[in-house]
Amino acid sequence: MQIKPILSALRRHKAGTFLIAMQIALTLAIVCNALFIIQQRIAHLSERTGIDEPDIFVIECEWVGSPTSQQADARMLEDLRVLRQLSSVQDATPSNSYPLNGGGWDDGIKLKPDQLQDSSGTTVYLADDHFIDTLGLKLIAGRNFRPEEVARIDMRDRLAAPQVIVTKALADKLFPNGDAVGKTIYLAGNPTTILGEVELLQAQSIDRWAADFAYRSVIVPRRLAASLGGFYIVRARPGQLDAAMRAAPAALFEHNPRRVINEQDGVLSFAQVRARAYERDRGMAILMGVICVALLAITAAGIVGLTSFWVGQRRKQIGVRRALGATQRDILGYFMTENLLISLGGVLVGVLLAIAINLWLVTRFEMSRLSMAYVLVGVAILLLLGQGAVLAPALRASRVPPVEATRSV
Amino acid sequence: MLKMTHLSKVYRTEVVETYALRDFNINVNEGEFVAVTGPSGSGKTTFLTIAGLLETFTGGQYHLDGVEVSNLNDNERSRIRNEKIGFIFQAFNLIPDLNVFDNVEVPLRYRGMKAAERKERIMNALERVGLASRAKHYPAELSGGQQQRVAIARALAGSPRLLLADEPTGNLDTQMARGVMELLEEIHREGATIVMVTHDPELAARAQRNVHIIDGQVVDLAEDPRFHHAVTSARANTTA
Repeated sequence: MQIKPILSALRRHKAGTFLIAMQIALTLAIVCNALFIIQQRIAHLSERTGIDEPDIFVIECEWVGSPTSQQADARMLEDLRVLRQLSSVQDATPSNSYPLNGGGWDDGIKLKPDQLQDSSGTTVYLADDHFIDTLGLKLIAGRNFRPEEVARIDMRDRLAAPQVIVTKALADKLFPNGDAVGKTIYLAGNPTTILGEVELLQAQSIDRWAADFAYRSVIVPRRLAASLGGFYIVRARPGQLDAAMRAAPAALFEHNPRRVINEQDGVLSFAQVRARAYERDRGMAILMGVICVALLAITAAGIVGLTSFWVGQRRKQIGVRRALGATQRDILGYFMTENLLISLGGVLVGVLLAIAINLWLVTRFEMSRLSMAYVLVGVAILLLLGQGAVLAPALRASRVPPVEATRSV
Repeated sequence: MLKMTHLSKVYRTEVVETYALRDFNINVNEGEFVAVTGPSGSGKTTFLTIAGLLETFTGGQYHLDGVEVSNLNDNERSRIRNEKIGFIFQAFNLIPDLNVFDNVEVPLRYRGMKAAERKERIMNALERVGLASRAKHYPAELSGGQQQRVAIARALAGSPRLLLADEPTGNLDTQMARGVMELLEEIHREGATIVMVTHDPELAARAQRNVHIIDGQVVDLAEDPRFHHAVTSARANTTA
């Protein structure tokens, strides 16, 4: 190996070597953290809601004329009857919110009435007895609500229901022994008994502040009869989503035209809901990806540029080496090894820098600790990038003929 | 040792063919010290680059140490350059980024020699040219004469069968040139085969034999009366 003479030569070209090594270090530090953020965002994107997404769509309906709560409730019941009668619709349910909606009702749950701290946060879904079937939730313990257990609630009413259904995540948090059904909990300060348990139901918010109770949801048997309007969650029959999404608003308008359903986003398939909810995450992942690619491209260009400059500068020297017995492979190996040594120096500093940047992000933005796997992947990418970038100028160098040694500069 | 028969080297462009060497014949025996002379543009350097396998030739035959070299591939030519030929260039051609020790080491590394043997050969070669104490110096820290001595040490370290020198004193003042020439004579006396290209009649006079080239062909030195006279005078002065 020619490591010692290459290092000796590099010591004579400190500025170029240092700049490229630092560029590699900085790129590695940023790429590692960016890849980590991308992975986190992608993992976030693929979090399950627990509902039967492919067949579900949501209608947001606003009433015209500010009906009273009783009138709104009556209209809502009529609407639900209309929706459920459609041939393309399997079921429909009213709700104050739905997973990934980004708005709704979050509250705290206590196990004792005089408890100071909440035992858990929760997302409150106001629903009727069709909620579980419409969303395709899996009831794993207890039972569903009966129609007579569902009551109307106004925006100004206290949230007081004798029974609720909770998610398994919430049940496990409150009652780790697995015997939640039948137990009393305090929701919004009012006692309520756990009637059943569903396997999975994501919170309405996917933001960081709701991460602690992302799957700790509670379903309350109450129809929110607000004068403004509300949501209908509709489950289409398999393969009839498009037909149902066309038929449902038409049927609602035909039944009662005194309503507003926004043409842009009044009817959304759950795929659209998901896309909207994760728009920022996807945007951030794309931005990070673009930054990574741009940085890697700039670094590769820097390596190509510097090596090309060095090859041009050392043309005579390469000729001399060839005259003294170097094969084309030796010359190629020289430049590849030289780049590898610079890159190794760069990645060594880059690893420390990557960890330092991550620690700063952890303390400043509550990010997770960077996994060393990302650092290793980053190191591998940068080393391969370096070798790839240096290949073309190194091949050009290897083709310098030995007779170059006899030519005057 | 070195035999070229009817050798030719043609440089072609789209419109013209230029013969750098034409029906070129030369035979250098083992242990000889031959000076190849001739006016500028006569083909001296082309001869040297072909002799040193730095360049290919267009026609004819070239046997080096009994091997016909025209069919060798690039790797084989590199190996022969490395193992059998030592080069001394007019411009020294030391690698400025490497110190004296590392410069002399370059051909030995390409031979795949072990570090201990390399070190021994390098130090022997540097002692022989009187520069062992300068092993850690860089070329820029040495005089021209010292740099050429390092280049000679580099050529000698690999124990080549043939030493090719291209105007080895061309960039040196008289005193330094004399020192380098004495070193080459000493190396020759120890048994090395040396082919030296020069246009200096005084240097040519110190070689055992002169081969004169004009227009790419070997000619009788008498065909260049001025150079012939200069060499004869120089030889007479040396003998006196």
